[in-house]
Amino acid sequence: MDLAWASLALICYFLSSAGFAAERAGLWRRWKTVAQLLLAAGALLQVIEFAKGALQTGNLPVTNFPQSLSFLACLTALAGLLVITRLRMTVVGTVVSPIVFVVLGIALLMMGPRRLTLPATLRSAWLPVHVTLAFLGYALFVLAAGVSLVYLTYERRLKAKTLSLEDGGPAPSLEKLDRVNYHLLGWGFLMLTLAIATGAIWADATWGHFWSWEPQESWSLLIWLLYAALLESRLTIGWRGRRAAALTIILFSVLVGSFVGVSLVTPGKHGGNFG
Amino acid sequence: MKRQKLLIFGLNHQTAPVAVRERLAYAENEIVPALIRLKQQARSLTEVALLSTCNRVEIIGVGTDSRRAAEESAAFLATDRGVQAAAFKTALYHLEERAAASHLFRVSASLDSMVVGEAQILGQVKAAYAYAAEAGTAGLVLHRAFHKAFSVAKQVRRATLIGHGAVSLSSTAVSLAGKIFDSLADKTVLLLGAGRMAELTARALKRIGIEALLISSRTFDHAVALARELGGTAVPYDNFRPHLRMADIIIGSMAVSQPVFGPAEFEVVIKERRYRPVFLIDLGVPRNFDERLNSLENVYLYDVDDLGRMALESRDEREREARRAEPLIELEVDSFMRWLEELELVPAIKDIRSSIEELRTGELQRHRAWLASLAPEERARIELITRSLVNKLLHRVLSGLRESHDAGAEGPYAAAIARRLLCSDFALEKENAREILEAGDPEPPAAPHDERFESSATRERK
Repeated sequence: MDLAWASLALICYFLSSAGFAAERAGLWRRWKTVAQLLLAAGALLQVIEFAKGALQTGNLPVTNFPQSLSFLACLTALAGLLVITRLRMTVVGTVVSPIVFVVLGIALLMMGPRRLTLPATLRSAWLPVHVTLAFLGYALFVLAAGVSLVYLTYERRLKAKTLSLEDGGPAPSLEKLDRVNYHLLGWGFLMLTLAIATGAIWADATWGHFWSWEPQESWSLLIWLLYAALLESRLTIGWRGRRAAALTIILFSVLVGSFVGVSLVTPGKHGGNFG
Repeated sequence: MKRQKLLIFGLNHQTAPVAVRERLAYAENEIVPALIRLKQQARSLTEVALLSTCNRVEIIGVGTDSRRAAEESAAFLATDRGVQAAAFKTALYHLEERAAASHLFRVSASLDSMVVGEAQILGQVKAAYAYAAEAGTAGLVLHRAFHKAFSVAKQVRRATLIGHGAVSLSSTAVSLAGKIFDSLADKTVLLLGAGRMAELTARALKRIGIEALLISSRTFDHAVALARELGGTAVPYDNFRPHLRMADIIIGSMAVSQPVFGPAEFEVVIKERRYRPVFLIDLGVPRNFDERLNSLENVYLYDVDDLGRMALESRDEREREARRAEPLIELEVDSFMRWLEELELVPAIKDIRSSIEELRTGELQRHRAWLASLAPEERARIELITRSLVNKLLHRVLSGLRESHDAGAEGPYAAAIARRLLCSDFALEKENAREILEAGDPEPPAAPHDERFESSATRERK
C-alpha cells in the first residue's frame, strides 16, 4: 500500500493540531481557519487514499487493524469537521485534531508497505456498509468523548471561577456542549446498532448464523448495552452535564480497550484473521 | 464690584496624550511647594489647588479675572515643568463658574475618568484638597467647592451604583449566564429581592433574550412594581419556594442574616429539575445563598466577590449608568453657584439691610402699646430716631465692607463674614454645616462647622 497520501495526511493533522493549540493559546486568531483547512485537507488526502485502495482491491480496504485505525481517523476527522463548522464549535478541533493525528500515526507505524489483498469471504457489498457504519459509530463516540472532555474542562473552570470571559468569545456554552454530546451519543448509538444488525445479516448470509459469540461480537454487544444505559439514564433520571460527560469518557475508554484488545489480543474474524 | 469665580485650567486623557500629561504631572511630594510657587506667580488667583493624576493635570483656582488667570496658569505650567507652552496649549481647557463646578464634581464622582466609576479618583481629589489646605492656598471658595465635590461623589455612588462595580457585575453575570446556557429564550429567571442591582442584572438578561421572569420580594409591592416595569410575574415572598425548581437563574439580593436556602434543601430542587443546570447569582451582602451550593451537581454559584473579580470592562453600561448622575450633578452645581453668589456684596448688603430693618421694626413692635399712648408727633420722632440710627450703622458697616472687599486676602469674603455677623438668618449656615457633616469626610482638614473662617483658621494652625 502506498503510504504517501496517508503520510501527507498525517502531516496535515499534526499542523492542524498545532494550529488549534496556537489559537487556544491566543497566539493568532487566524490559526482557527488554517487549522480547520488543514484538518479538512488531511481528511481529503485519506479519502483519496481509500478511494485508490478501493479501486485496487475492488472493495473497501479495511481488513486489518492498522487499516481500521486509519479509517477511523478519517471518519473522525470528517465528523469532527462537521461539528466544528456546522455547530461552530472550534474548540472541538483542539481535541479532534490531536486524536486523529495520534490514531493515524499509530496506524502508519503498524502498516507495512505491502500489497492490498482482500480475502475471498469478504468480497461482499456488505463489507463497506457494515464497516462504515461501525466506524462511523466509533468516530461519533470519539467526538462525544472529546466534547465531554471540553465540557469537563469548562465546567471545572466555571466552578472554580477561573473561566476567562474574554478568551474565545463564541466559546460554546455548557448547555450546548451537553446537547451536542447527547446528539453525538445518539447518532453513534444508532450507527452501532445498524452496524451490529448489518453484521448479523452478513454473517447469516456468509456462515449461515447471525451470531457466533466471537470476541468482537460480544464486546460490541456489551458496549451497545452500556451506551444504551447511558442514553437511558439521561432520558429517565435526567443525568446530564458533568455526570453524563464523565460517563461518556469512561464508556469511551471501555470502547478503546475493547477495540484494541479484541483486535490485538484475541482476533477473530474482525481482527484480520478471516476464515 | 468683581465677582469671585471658580476656575479650572487643565488637560486630561481626552484632550492630551499620555506623552504630554506625563511631562506636566506632579509627584505627590512636589505639590505643596508647587502650590506655593503658583500662588506667587499667578497673582490673579486668590485660591488654588492642584490635581495631578495619571489621567489629568488641573489647576483649580478662584479669581475674578479668568483671562489673566488662564494666561498665568499656562505660563506657570510651562515654566514650572520646563515644557514649551506650545506643546500643551491646545490640549488645555479653561472652565469657569458653572462649567468649572460641574467639572470638579464630575471628576470627583469618577464620571470623567477613563474608566468611569473607578474608585481611586475621589481619593486623589481629596489629596489635592488636603495639599492645598496644607500649602495654605485653599480658601473659602475652594473649601466649599471641594467639600461639595466629596458629597456629590458620595451621592452619585449611592444613587447609581457606579463605583460599587455594580454595573460591571451585572454584565459579568450575563456573560457567565452565556457560558452556562446556550439559549436564554427558554430559561426562567427568579429574582429574590428587587434591589437596584438585581434589577440591573435582570434588565441585562432581558436584553439578551430572557423571556420568563419571576420576581419575589419581601415587600410585595416592590415585586409588583418591578414586574410591571420589566414584564415579569410577581411572586409573594412566602410562596417563592415552589418556584425554585422552575428557575434556571436565581438572583438573590435580599438583606438577610441567614442564607435563604442551603444545600440539603436545594439538592431536592436539583433532582426535581432532573439535573438541569442552575446559575445562582448572589448579589447580597451578607450573602443570600449558602456557599456550599456551588459544589452541588450542575449548580454554579457566584457571589459579589466572584463577579467583581471577573468583572469585565463594559463601557456602554457604565456610561449609561453614569448618565443617571447628571441631574444630580446639575442640582449640586446650582446649589454651589447660589452659595457663591451670596459671597458678593450686593446681596449681602441687601440681606444686612433688611435684617437690621427687621430688628428695628421688631423693637418698635415690642413697644407698640406704649407707642400708641404717645402723641402722633412723638411717635414720628421716635420713628425718625430709630431709622437714622439704623442708617448710620448700616453706612458704617457698608463702607467698611466696600473698603475691605478690594483689599487683603480675606477681603472678597468680608461680605460673607459681615452677613454672618449681622444677619439673624442662620438657616443657611445650618444647612451648610449639615451637608458637610453628611459628606462624612473622615479627616476634614478644617473644622466643618466653622467653614467660612477656616482658611484663616487653617493658616493659624500651621
